[in-house]
Amino acid sequence: MSVIKKDAHAQKTQADLLYEAQQRKRLQFQIKVVISWMGLLAFLLFLFSGLEIKSSNGVTSVSSWHFQMVIENNREVRARVEEVLFSMPYGLPNKGLDITTIVVDSEFIGENIDFIAAGILQTIQISIYAILLATGLALLAALGRLSTNPLIYSLSTFYVSLIRGTPLYLQIFFFFLALPQLGIILKGLWAGVLALGLNYGAYMSEIFRAGLSSVGKGQREAAMALGMTPTQTMRRIVLPQALRFAIPPTGNEFIAMTKDSALVSATGFVHELMWRATKVGRAEFRNLEALIMAAIFYWIMTLILTSVQSRVEARLAKGDR
Amino acid sequence: MSAPIVRIDNLHKYFGRLHVLKGIDLEVQPREVICIIGRSGSGKSTLLRCINFLEEPSEGEIEIHGVKIPAGGKGKEHQKLVHEARLLTGMVFQEFNLFPHMTVLENVMEAPVIVKGVDRTKARETAEMNLARVGMLFKKDEYPNRISGGQKQRVAIARALAMEPKVMLFDEPTSALDPELIGEVLEVMKGLAKEGTTMLVVTHEMGFARDVADRVVIIDEGMLVEQGEPKEIFENPQHKQTRALLDRYRTSGHGSQ
Repeated sequence: MSVIKKDAHAQKTQADLLYEAQQRKRLQFQIKVVISWMGLLAFLLFLFSGLEIKSSNGVTSVSSWHFQMVIENNREVRARVEEVLFSMPYGLPNKGLDITTIVVDSEFIGENIDFIAAGILQTIQISIYAILLATGLALLAALGRLSTNPLIYSLSTFYVSLIRGTPLYLQIFFFFLALPQLGIILKGLWAGVLALGLNYGAYMSEIFRAGLSSVGKGQREAAMALGMTPTQTMRRIVLPQALRFAIPPTGNEFIAMTKDSALVSATGFVHELMWRATKVGRAEFRNLEALIMAAIFYWIMTLILTSVQSRVEARLAKGDR
Repeated sequence: MSAPIVRIDNLHKYFGRLHVLKGIDLEVQPREVICIIGRSGSGKSTLLRCINFLEEPSEGEIEIHGVKIPAGGKGKEHQKLVHEARLLTGMVFQEFNLFPHMTVLENVMEAPVIVKGVDRTKARETAEMNLARVGMLFKKDEYPNRISGGQKQRVAIARALAMEPKVMLFDEPTSALDPELIGEVLEVMKGLAKEGTTMLVVTHEMGFARDVADRVVIIDEGMLVEQGEPKEIFENPQHKQTRALLDRYRTSGHGSQ
């Protein structure tokens, strides 16, 4: 028996065994990461669950707090109500232990979730318009930086320097509040798109510049030796390669932009996620609940976009480079 | 003797303060194969790159197929002449420089379609014909990163041929290749020479120079020190620079093939 076993074992080479051990280690690590994530998530849920665990004066109880409409002095108010889920007549003496968690107004969430969720569409809309504008500007700015024409070169570097040298928040207000003073009135959405697009365009020009310089000098020379004009060389040879290089980082910028679009809410006229969250939160003094809802929506959007992004990246990496 | 197809007249090239080419004169006859030999840094690649103006010469004149292009020209007129020079010449680079985002076939079709405005079906036919000429038709739908260095260089040759140039310029076409891949590229070049292609080849392959070249040109420190039939040059070099150069090839084993 033992001889057969040995033979079966001998069929695997040293490299196979090492590889398997490595794979096993990697899998174990991944499993532990998933468990830890779920643990952290569970802790977060518990933190906002409204549960209270008490053990004092010889009584131990678990109770759940929530908001409810109650009549108080002949007026209907929303107040915190305790509901004991479980208790037993044993426990720590005297003051003992009291663990309380944050109570969120689930009724408020239920009433307003649809209103806030409606902002997702607007958030995505702003982000898409702004990323399109930013990509165009970034490409122009990157090409401008390669230009031998001093005016075009200056225009590009001036734009990038000015935009990167001022806060995005200021730029959004500038388009929304300062421009009307000059007689230019933009709708809130377009002021936001313009500000975000200009801002991200300046930062993204670096991405496109890196993309353009990733295309070797030999590529240009080969194209020129074949008789292509500089424009043809750029359009047919350099740009396609540079853009492929720039797609993954542009995806990252898009994800960042969906979150920065929240700043546009400050103008008060774009009804995206953040604006809706602060509006209902302030009105009923339920900012905690409103912001939690918005945070969850942003987080889910980011998770989805990130997974799309990594898929695109993987496909490009496998592609025909 | 017929009129030369390429005439290089007193060509100078400066890189900043560096005087790289110091007055080169060279005439190339139609159907002639010339190998340009010299140490690295002697200016032989620069000479080749000046012919299609990838390097702008500083002084002198280049004439290709009757088109005279003085050095140091500027403006639209000069651009037009340079464009003509590039259409009349095909270049093969040391590093192949195939376009990685296009298939082998697209690489070869690109310039005829974009530059000459050849109809796509016709360009495809020409491209396939030229790929067959270098034995690469069987890989026409592959991307360049999926083929070997020798195959890449053969495709690069087909790409240059597709423009139907009057002169082919080879800039160390085998220097970036693994030794076992050099042979297939030299075979293709031999074939072209036999077909009567005018070729200017910068190379370290002494065997190729001896067997295929009609004339060998020795460049040293930016000057043309000696030229002649390969037999004369290899067996009875006149200049001490030539002797030193050939000795170096012999001891490094480059000459044997």
